[in-house]
Amino acid sequence: MIKPIGLFGISLLSLSALAHLPLSAQEVNPLAPLPAAPAANQQDHQIYGSIVRIEAATQVPNYREPWKAGRFSGGIGTGFLIGPNRFLTNAHVVSNARRLLITKHGSPRKHPARIVHIAHDCDLALLEVDDPTAFVGLQTLQIGAVPKLESQVRVIGYPVGGNRISVTRGVVSRIDFNAYSHTRSDMHLVVQIDAAINPGNSGGPVLQNGHVVGVAFQGLRSADNTGYMIPTPVIRRFLKDIEDGQYDHYVDLGISEFPLFNPAMRKKFGLKQNDPGVLVARVTPEGPCDGVVKDNDILTAINGNTVDAAGNILIDGEKVNMNEIVERKFSGDTIKLDLIREGKVVQTQVTLKPFPQARMYSVQYGVKPRFTTFAGLVLQPLDRNLYAAHSFSNTRVRRLFAHYIDEAIFKERKDIVILTRILADPVNTHVSGHTGTAVESINGEKITSLQQAHELLHPETPPEFFVIKCEGLERPIVIPGDKAAEASRRTQSNYGINTSHKL
Amino acid sequence: MKFLLTALTCLTLTGYLSAQDNTDSAVSKSVIRVNATIQSWNPSQPWDKSAPGKRRALGALLSGNRVLTTAEMAADASYIELENADSTRTLPAKVVAIDYETNLALLSPDNGDTEGFFQGLSPLSLGTPAKIGDQVDVWQLEDNGMPLVTQATIQSVDVVSSFAEGNFFLTYEAKGSMQSASSSFTLPVVRDGKLLGLLSSYNSKDQIIDIMTPEIISAFLADAEDGKYIGVPSLGIGVSSTVDPNFRNWLKLPDDVGGLYVTRIRNKSAAEAAGLKKGDVLVAINEHAIGRRGYYSHPNYGRVFWSHLVRGSHAVGETIQLTVLREGKEKQLTATLTRASKRLVPSLTYDQAPKFLVKGGFIFQELSATYLRAFGKEWQSSAPLNLLDVLSSPEDYEEGRNTLVFLSATIPTPATTGYERISNQIIGKINGQPIADIASLIKAFQQPGKDGLHTIEFDDGHPKTIYLDAATSDTIDAELLKRGIPRLSRQ
Repeated sequence: MIKPIGLFGISLLSLSALAHLPLSAQEVNPLAPLPAAPAANQQDHQIYGSIVRIEAATQVPNYREPWKAGRFSGGIGTGFLIGPNRFLTNAHVVSNARRLLITKHGSPRKHPARIVHIAHDCDLALLEVDDPTAFVGLQTLQIGAVPKLESQVRVIGYPVGGNRISVTRGVVSRIDFNAYSHTRSDMHLVVQIDAAINPGNSGGPVLQNGHVVGVAFQGLRSADNTGYMIPTPVIRRFLKDIEDGQYDHYVDLGISEFPLFNPAMRKKFGLKQNDPGVLVARVTPEGPCDGVVKDNDILTAINGNTVDAAGNILIDGEKVNMNEIVERKFSGDTIKLDLIREGKVVQTQVTLKPFPQARMYSVQYGVKPRFTTFAGLVLQPLDRNLYAAHSFSNTRVRRLFAHYIDEAIFKERKDIVILTRILADPVNTHVSGHTGTAVESINGEKITSLQQAHELLHPETPPEFFVIKCEGLERPIVIPGDKAAEASRRTQSNYGINTSHKL
Repeated sequence: MKFLLTALTCLTLTGYLSAQDNTDSAVSKSVIRVNATIQSWNPSQPWDKSAPGKRRALGALLSGNRVLTTAEMAADASYIELENADSTRTLPAKVVAIDYETNLALLSPDNGDTEGFFQGLSPLSLGTPAKIGDQVDVWQLEDNGMPLVTQATIQSVDVVSSFAEGNFFLTYEAKGSMQSASSSFTLPVVRDGKLLGLLSSYNSKDQIIDIMTPEIISAFLADAEDGKYIGVPSLGIGVSSTVDPNFRNWLKLPDDVGGLYVTRIRNKSAAEAAGLKKGDVLVAINEHAIGRRGYYSHPNYGRVFWSHLVRGSHAVGETIQLTVLREGKEKQLTATLTRASKRLVPSLTYDQAPKFLVKGGFIFQELSATYLRAFGKEWQSSAPLNLLDVLSSPEDYEEGRNTLVFLSATIPTPATTGYERISNQIIGKINGQPIADIASLIKAFQQPGKDGLHTIEFDDGHPKTIYLDAATSDTIDAELLKRGIPRLSRQ
């Protein structure tokens, strides 16, 4: 029997770019002949034992009605043993998980497991089982190098269409900097292969010569037989990052570059035809380069690697984006930069640091949505999850979201508080046109965080009126102070809101 | 008994037919077909006009060989032609006056056999306002020239926006079952042999006919009389209702007044000159008390929206008396009505060729709502966010600008190598000079830097400043003319 699609929910959800191929596709596709000796077969069999099926039961938060428990769902993914009781998989396989079960190849037993470390920005997670005895003695997979273009790789996992392990083959067709769809905001090195990666394959190893050369993680809806894997530099970085017991997130240089192709531009900056260097178009406020690098500087080298006019550097004979240098670094590491500023050569260095504000643009997992309610009004802080759930049309809200970082709005406003809903009640029945706007002030005080908004709306002694002004709207929402508490109670009971706030 | 009934029926029928005959000849003599070729400008290539389209409708013949029709028929028209009811005669026409806001246009003959065309035709005179419950006739023509008269009953009066979005004018809503015929558009509506109004729209599902009222038409004709059309006045305010009792308590509004809360005062508007302020509550205009939802009592029509007191009842230059409550105290203000002040982003640009400059492959334009609407049905979400922001908050961009100049697109040329993806960015300065409009942009481009480079500074986007080689771009401009762009600028 074919399992209901809901069981693969998590993979389908996170791998939004994934091709939905017919279930028979893998049988139809001709496989390249196996260049395998009997000895290799035996080795393969051992490897299969280390590649596990992960079953996740999830609870996905509801950003439209944040007081609700959320949707209960689940899915199947793949993981593999990289050390004693250390299973590597994709973050999206285990995101929002409430229960995880790991099944060994060929065994009916389900082993309860838990997340040890999860890195959403590079879509990797490390799991362990509660009782590792069943996995003792299994071969652990070794992490290899970046495979060469045109070389063959094998993808092993538990994709749609059955409970048994599945093996597909493909050729490395591209190595590039690309988007990681799990957070919708991160870009790292990606290896593209011409083997289809289907839901359920996620988190499984991609092997070459018995070594792991990547973790299968996403596909492409618009193209057939195109799969993507997370290459080993990203895996190694993750494993190194968690050595100290916690995951610290990627760090970023915090500059946006503009290619110097235009002859007039090159003339203005005194660059000859083959001179290196890319223009610094914008330095992120309060980012690592703020105060060190300036707009209109020309970045000519990064840690001694010459940066060309397009912003690329040469590593191991391959041209890659200059950010690849920073990709492999950690918070606290320093980066040397060679700049040309107003015609003069400047050598400087920056210390990389985390920039949590940028997570405004990343999909969040495993956190409960923050909100507060007041007299039927629902207030929520703006972030990617909220934006996706409500698809805001108000120009000001869209602008605040788009420019939160580059216009340094975050310096003043920790949260952009949005009035997402008005639950009809006698005190608010004539308020209209305010839903989907940003709260500018409450009782004359500018709103900079959800916490502050909550406190202003729930003072010890209520004011005569609560006056809530929304951005772009002159007419404020007015709630009489003596009726607010009653209205809050009434709306909570009428609309089944069992938690009034989560700050 | 049965015989009698039949006889009666016959009698009625005969009577009806003869009346119909009279109407038929009146329809043929007073209704003119209007054929227009409409062509707007191409928003992305402002030197080009878009492909022409045809519109056919009817108009009402007025005295002095003038034809009244809707602005919708004449807006962006490259050619307009009049045609008589039986299609035996045609005559080229020109626009004497056009009002996009009220959706009215007045046409007159343009170089042709005027005398021959109008021979035997009889103009309609404008009737007086109707009352709710009045019967009216809607005139149509079939393809073969046969008149088609539909009776309708006026059911209500409201302010309706029929063509230019957001411009609301007094409109009759009548119930009647219409059939479609050729040119079933802008049909004359007649009562007692006189022109009452023009049909602006028909909802076939509800069988509701929208009729532009004689009040609005007579004001339009009076304005057009001297050959210099001015247009309807505007107070220049934004308002919000005061229905919400909590809001009323906060405003300290007494229960016996209605009133509208003033949320916006346009720059250089009649309201600003009169001393009206944001937060005032407008409670009466010319002693007509305005209710909580903005309606007042009209002697003829009952509850009518307040905007009719300004836009439909007065001409530019006339004064109105405003009664406002400011901080609980009543104040009398006198507003001298003016045309709506010029906006940074004009919303109506019909019949106006877009101003632009092509420099080295960059296309610069002045922002208009028309440009944004060209992004399709979902333009409010699909148009560039920075430009939408200018439309919704023009006050943030008005300083030092008459219009908003932006770089709309980049044609790939040797001068724009590396800039191909730059589009829809707002211009701050060119060669160090602030840009107020296309004219100042063209002037600024005449003075490149000593290094032979133009400096282009954006208000937004990264990088903020880019450079363009002056000599190369001049060469390319000449090349673009050779490649068929008819002109490089319009100001």
